[in-house]
Amino acid sequence: MRQLRVLARVAVETVIGLKRGGWSNWLVISILTVALTIFGGVLQLTMSLKNVVSSWGSQLEISAYLKDNYEPGKVAKSVSQIADVQVVEIVPKEVAWAEMQSNFKVAALNNPLPNTLHVRLCTPEAVERTASRLRLMDGIEHIRYPLKVARNLNRFRQFLEIAGAVVTAALTAATLTVIGNTIHLVIQAKHREIEILSLMGVSPWYIKGPLILQGAAYGTIAALAATMFLVVLHLYLDPYVRDQLLSFLPVLPQTLDSGNLPTFMIVLLLGVAVGAGGSAWTSGRYIKI
Amino acid sequence: MIRLQNVHKEYAGRPALINVNLHIGLGEFAFLVGPSGAGKSTLMRLLYREETPTRGQVMIGGVNLTKLSPRQVPLLRRRLGIVFQDYKLLPRQTVTDNVAYILRALGVDELDVQRRVTSALCVVNLEDKASAFPDELSGGEQQRVGIARAIVNGPPVLLADEPTGNLDPSTSLEIVQLLERISQRGTTVLISTHDHFIVDSLRRRVISLKNGQIVADVDSGLYEMEAKG
Ligand SMILES: Nc1ncnc2c1ncn2[C@@H]1O[C@H](COP(=O)(O)OP(=O)(O)O)[C@@H](O)[C@H]1O
Ligand SMILES: [Mg+2]
Repeated sequence: MRQLRVLARVAVETVIGLKRGGWSNWLVISILTVALTIFGGVLQLTMSLKNVVSSWGSQLEISAYLKDNYEPGKVAKSVSQIADVQVVEIVPKEVAWAEMQSNFKVAALNNPLPNTLHVRLCTPEAVERTASRLRLMDGIEHIRYPLKVARNLNRFRQFLEIAGAVVTAALTAATLTVIGNTIHLVIQAKHREIEILSLMGVSPWYIKGPLILQGAAYGTIAALAATMFLVVLHLYLDPYVRDQLLSFLPVLPQTLDSGNLPTFMIVLLLGVAVGAGGSAWTSGRYIKI
Repeated sequence: MIRLQNVHKEYAGRPALINVNLHIGLGEFAFLVGPSGAGKSTLMRLLYREETPTRGQVMIGGVNLTKLSPRQVPLLRRRLGIVFQDYKLLPRQTVTDNVAYILRALGVDELDVQRRVTSALCVVNLEDKASAFPDELSGGEQQRVGIARAIVNGPPVLLADEPTGNLDPSTSLEIVQLLERISQRGTTVLISTHDHFIVDSLRRRVISLKNGQIVADVDSGLYEMEAKG
């Protein structure tokens, strides 16, 4: 009961501190929001890419685009003679074009698409092997297969992860500095008050607690704002990204959105950790009692 | 209640207290006198553990302050009432909130807080200023708030470092008489001062410091007793 009353007092002191903070609150919160939004965005993107990569990486299909003057049926026949090939499906260019026109609003051009073969294989190991054979076959202009795209995407994702980590680290450092400075200013302004409380026998954590909670409040508010931005970005950007990927690779997948909740939890945790951590460190450093 | 044994205190090699031995019993009332720079504030700061002695022991109520860990210092200070020359009130809080602060920080039930604050304000006769802010009060009134704050948690020991340093003679006398009344309720009181008038008016125990040494310690004394020490 007594402890509860003390906690309630600490909360009240925190609110008083925030009220006194005025505009500097909003400065800290906006910087922290930017940092968390970038962090959350990168996190979200790498997680989505990871899913795409792993689902595409396990696809056992090769698309072979045929030269115009070759008969699809004949090519399909010789392809089906390759040992690892399970099924060959012919997609005539008229069909592909009609499908594309129904999916996307494309201008009424002449059909630019080639005839296509969808080659299904039996094992993942066969993908590379068969791909290199197909590439050399008469009548095949070029081939595409998810595994290869997945590899490129994976390379991109790895780059993104590293770049994201670097950017996040830099932003975290910047944010910690801003929070540290803000709390330092608060401590300087309350210098005399802190001295008085200490002489009265008020415990150090009762003095530091409100400052740490103030930092945590910054982190929470910024994390909520960042989450809001991320949700909006997600809603507007996802369909666009999906279209890009679909046109880039007509086959496949639907696994783009995933991991929203974990991302937001992580953003919230990071926000609170940076906010509370920054002020805890500063309080520890400048309040010597 | 208060005991100093062979206490030396140096600031950067310059002695401020030299071989001080002192005992003040439970419920006693004493003045600590001496000219400016004699070491009065240093001795007080040792007692509320704002400083530690270079050598020697400082004990309050059987607790050896030189062995206190930093975490125990707040516990010690809650058992002391401390009164300062510059009052050290929280400027943005009312008289009531100033006096109530430590109780609330300790989680005392609000009804109990109100009861104890009212009683402390009654002792210093400031009930009618309960909702005033410090800058709306005279110096003497501010010091009475400081005293109310010091006694609100019922400390066995009250330390006052030049409590009348900023006050005129008649107000000073009122303040010291107030502290004397508080000591009559069983509180050990130590007041540092260089004000002859209040010391000579009360004729209580006088401990004289000069250049960091105790040069006289007389019951029912006058300020100038040090001459014969
Ligand atoms: N924090 C300090 N650092 C260095 N010297 C100090 C400090 N505090 C006091 N002194 C010195 O110690 C001596 C005693 O000072 P003080 O205890 O304040 O005397 P009083 O309160 O009797 O006027 C003085 O010479 C003073 O200059
Ligand atoms: Mg002094």
